[in-house]
Amino acid sequence: MTKFLSFISRAYVTLVFCIVFMPMAIILVISFSADSYLSFPPSGWSLKWYGTVLGNTSFMQGFRNSAIIAVIVAALSLALGLPAAYALVRLDFPGRALIRSLVIAPLVLPAMMLGLGILMVFTPAGLVATYPGLVLAHLVMTLPFSIRILQTSLSNLGTDVDEAAMTLGARPLQVFMQITLPRLTPGVIASSAIALILSFDEIVLSLFIVGPRLQTLPVALYRYVDERTDPMVAVLAVLMIALSLAIVLVVERSVGFAKAFGR
Amino acid sequence: MSLASTPAHIRIDKLTFDYGGERPAVDTLSFDIAKGEFIGLLGPSGCGKSTTLRMFAGLLAPTSGKIIMGGEDIVSRPPWERNLGLVFQSYALFPHMTVAQNVAFGLRLRKVGKEESAARVAEALRAVRLEGFGNRRPAELSGGQQQRVAIARAIVIEPEILLLDEPLSNLDARLRDEMRFEIRDIQSRTGITTLFVTHDQQEALTMCDRIAVMNGGKLEQIGTPVEIYDKPATPFVAGFIGRANSVPATLRLGPGAPRLEHEGQALPAPDLQELPSDAADGAKLAAMVRPHAIQLSRQDGDGLTARVNRSVFVGSVIEVELELAGGHKLVAELRPGSAEAQLAQPGADVALTWRTTDMRIFAA
Repeated sequence: MTKFLSFISRAYVTLVFCIVFMPMAIILVISFSADSYLSFPPSGWSLKWYGTVLGNTSFMQGFRNSAIIAVIVAALSLALGLPAAYALVRLDFPGRALIRSLVIAPLVLPAMMLGLGILMVFTPAGLVATYPGLVLAHLVMTLPFSIRILQTSLSNLGTDVDEAAMTLGARPLQVFMQITLPRLTPGVIASSAIALILSFDEIVLSLFIVGPRLQTLPVALYRYVDERTDPMVAVLAVLMIALSLAIVLVVERSVGFAKAFGR
Repeated sequence: MSLASTPAHIRIDKLTFDYGGERPAVDTLSFDIAKGEFIGLLGPSGCGKSTTLRMFAGLLAPTSGKIIMGGEDIVSRPPWERNLGLVFQSYALFPHMTVAQNVAFGLRLRKVGKEESAARVAEALRAVRLEGFGNRRPAELSGGQQQRVAIARAIVIEPEILLLDEPLSNLDARLRDEMRFEIRDIQSRTGITTLFVTHDQQEALTMCDRIAVMNGGKLEQIGTPVEIYDKPATPFVAGFIGRANSVPATLRLGPGAPRLEHEGQALPAPDLQELPSDAADGAKLAAMVRPHAIQLSRQDGDGLTARVNRSVFVGSVIEVELELAGGHKLVAELRPGSAEAQLAQPGADVALTWRTTDMRIFAA
């Protein structure tokens, strides 16, 4: 009986993994296709679509924009998220519990609504289709994640070590810079990586506020798929997955994801 | 040690912490600490001892009261201006620094020169017997070693007072015994005034010059371990430090010397100074006697009659449960192999006595 159950559970897990990874596997295969349309299995093999993607100005522009925006968003997420997380964990002020739950509100709101709201605020402010506009919009998505991750890391640190430093003569800023921050490194790396990936992949909010002058890679990809379907799409998908995976691997290798998320 | 003549090094004066609960967590606590003294703050969890320590360290602001150190009230000073060493139960070492960097941390903040700092770190590590461990990381050390690093880090800054917060409770039993002597030894060698917070009466009795027993935020008694053990000032102290039997007794003032009775039988004669001055004839009192002070004899005259319920050999002593005529139970500790132990057969009827000096009397 236990043997049978263990077989069932293994089969079940395998099935779930297949469902999750099948589309990615198919996309990976198609990216090496020699056909000029999306078909599976491909009738021939080539690397030509990789070359086409790298030569496509629209995609390369989008990639550049997305990369610039993602790096700025990750940096700002940390710069704004760390003090917020510190305040929410370490300081006691009226309304702390309320703000703690409000912080994750952008995650539970439909992205469509957020996008519409952002568009209505950004249009009069002249932020549509600008770097600051896209960065601000992405921050709405990434900040809740950054704050939550840093909050968890901070509360897992406890206060003993910081208090020990304080009794040894360290002022609050010295304690933060020399003791708290170094111990917070895993959380800082994890939250930055998440912000980077989220911003780089973001599409819904971006769709509302990109313009012909400024387009991100996911938006460029989305628009392209709207008109044509050739293996270039698969190549782009593979490249984007590879990039996200690389970031995840860096985090895993440097601090370990479980540790980064404070578990 | 004669403390009355030693000038107070540190004075805690009516220290109170009231966060609006049923009662203040620390309630008008006052006592003095002499220079170089090793003083224990002992009590059950929730008695306010840790709150007191945190107020001492400046991590918690008292509601009222003073902490006088070097002639000055330090209550309004932030922790980084108090010059005291705090050792946490969790050790609270800096995991991203080496042992030497951990110990040097306080010196670096005090802008002590490189050479002097290195010398003092080496000296502190020698004091805790961790020479040669300077380049290790805290994670590479055992619990006992981490504990000693925490102590070295606290004493290297030559603090006015070393505060130890349950430093032994995270160690296993064998190491705990070892560290008990180790800590006391370090303290005697360095001569640093130390406040030791613990809930363990054994630790307090074996380590401290004086013990302050706290309960419910209040100071119950302060004194040497011998005083606390032999002359507990309150029923709480009697019950908390060591084992104690409490025998309900009625005061009889009639003609002659005052007597105590339990269920009509006379207890050993009380010390007159022990009796509450306002106690009237018939007052209900409680007589406290330690298990090892109870003497067993055959029922042939003096003493309370009792029946032996149970007799258990626990190694160094035999623990005997006795039931008095009215059903009240006592525990006595007898020496194995003694004549008394021979008497303590289950079901046997015996007479109990103890010396007047071994009995404390409290209002019931």
